[in-house]
Amino acid sequence: MELTLFIIVGAIAVVAAAMMLISENAVHSALFLILNFACIAFFFLMLNAPFLAMVQITVYAGAIMVLFLFVIMLLGAERVFPGAQTRFRWMTPVAITLAVAFLLVASLAIVRGDVKLTSRDQTVPRVRVVNAASALDSIDVYVNDEVVASALAFKSASDFEAMDAGSVTVSMFNAGDDPQDTEPVITQDVDLRAGEAVSLTAIGTSTQQLELVPAVEDLSQPAGSDLRVLAINALPDGMPVDVRDVSQDELLFQDLSYGEAIPGVTIHAGTHSIGVFPTGDTNTHLAMLRDETLDAGKSMLWIFTATQESGNAWENQVIELEGETLASFGSPTHIGQLLFGHYILPFEMVALVLLVAMIGALVLTHDSTVRRDTQHRPGYVPAIDPITREVGK
Amino acid sequence: MGAPEVSTELFVLLSAILFVMGAVGVLLRRNAILIFMSVELMLNAANLALAAFARQWGNGDGQLMVFFVMTVAAAEVAIGLALIVAIFKTKKSIDIDELHLFRD
Repeated sequence: MELTLFIIVGAIAVVAAAMMLISENAVHSALFLILNFACIAFFFLMLNAPFLAMVQITVYAGAIMVLFLFVIMLLGAERVFPGAQTRFRWMTPVAITLAVAFLLVASLAIVRGDVKLTSRDQTVPRVRVVNAASALDSIDVYVNDEVVASALAFKSASDFEAMDAGSVTVSMFNAGDDPQDTEPVITQDVDLRAGEAVSLTAIGTSTQQLELVPAVEDLSQPAGSDLRVLAINALPDGMPVDVRDVSQDELLFQDLSYGEAIPGVTIHAGTHSIGVFPTGDTNTHLAMLRDETLDAGKSMLWIFTATQESGNAWENQVIELEGETLASFGSPTHIGQLLFGHYILPFEMVALVLLVAMIGALVLTHDSTVRRDTQHRPGYVPAIDPITREVGK
Repeated sequence: MGAPEVSTELFVLLSAILFVMGAVGVLLRRNAILIFMSVELMLNAANLALAAFARQWGNGDGQLMVFFVMTVAAAEVAIGLALIVAIFKTKKSIDIDELHLFRD
């Protein structure tokens, strides 16, 4: 199906390009070129580039081609009258031979050469640090001796940062401690794989049982009205729990043991009451999120933990953090993130080029610019005159 | 993203065909505006190849490059057409075979 469409639209594109070359009338050429641009916009859609398809239609087929048509009409230059064209007659066969030769070489390179590249998963791992250890105050976090978060308070998280894939050593220190002199409170090796988003979560309610849980999040955007939830059990007594959606009477996570991060489940957006129960028990909840409004399209991280209150009572809590979803490939959001993130400087430079072009076009077409050189400069013999005479105006 | 039905090679081949047609247009046509349109065709062929490889590698950089090429093409068209208008004002023609200022 897709291949059939490709062949049909490809044929239209090639025929449109050929007609553009052959047409005697420049207006017809411009219209055929618009058809060709529309075909290329279609190919952009096939190539997961909806944003480019949009820009292709609005900017290329719209703005640029209108400019072309406008200039053609303004100059009345639809036709170049066939005149004495003997001088370059030899160019036609030479150009066509060269074109065919180039095309042959290119197809040979495409068909026989090493153009066939294996697809790879390009996205680098992204890492953030979450402090969910009530036994710790604020912490400094180092990944391979490089600081990724400093003075991270309990219940807070750092932003996601891109890192190289591979095995890294994560060390956490009490905030302000010198990593050279002091022993880290937690140190652990973590494997980072491409295309993952990892929340390095420090859990533990007493200083003896501090632990680091790498919670791997799914980066893809959840469908339509869904959201994705990942849960970590960090309750003090270390018992396994069930997580239920009380309002829908639905079991979300079963038998979630201590320090375990279960791959996320998708739930419908809306208002939910989420309860944490000891495994098998449906009556006495350990913690409860009441009438929580959950928005679609997000990825959430829930951490069940406890803080010690005055007296020895434990107060169970749920830490809710927003995770990360990557915009789907080629979408306007994705392009926008790239454009205003990594490519902000080229973007600014291109904007400057456009501004200069605008001013340049104004200067070039301004009446005084065109006439000054030929008429008003004293002692200047215009070079164009003899040619104009020969050509016959 | 499952395995795409239309392979990258086909897109690159189509892009090569369109590019060559644009090049032939630049070499053979005498109308300056048509030469300009052929250049646009070549730029679009290159864009198609860039987008195809962007999909192949699953990398957004290729698509960004297409975006920048489009912007620069817009700037180029503005300047180019202004030049053509300026030339037409002095020579009353945009036949490039008649534009030889330094000969004869």
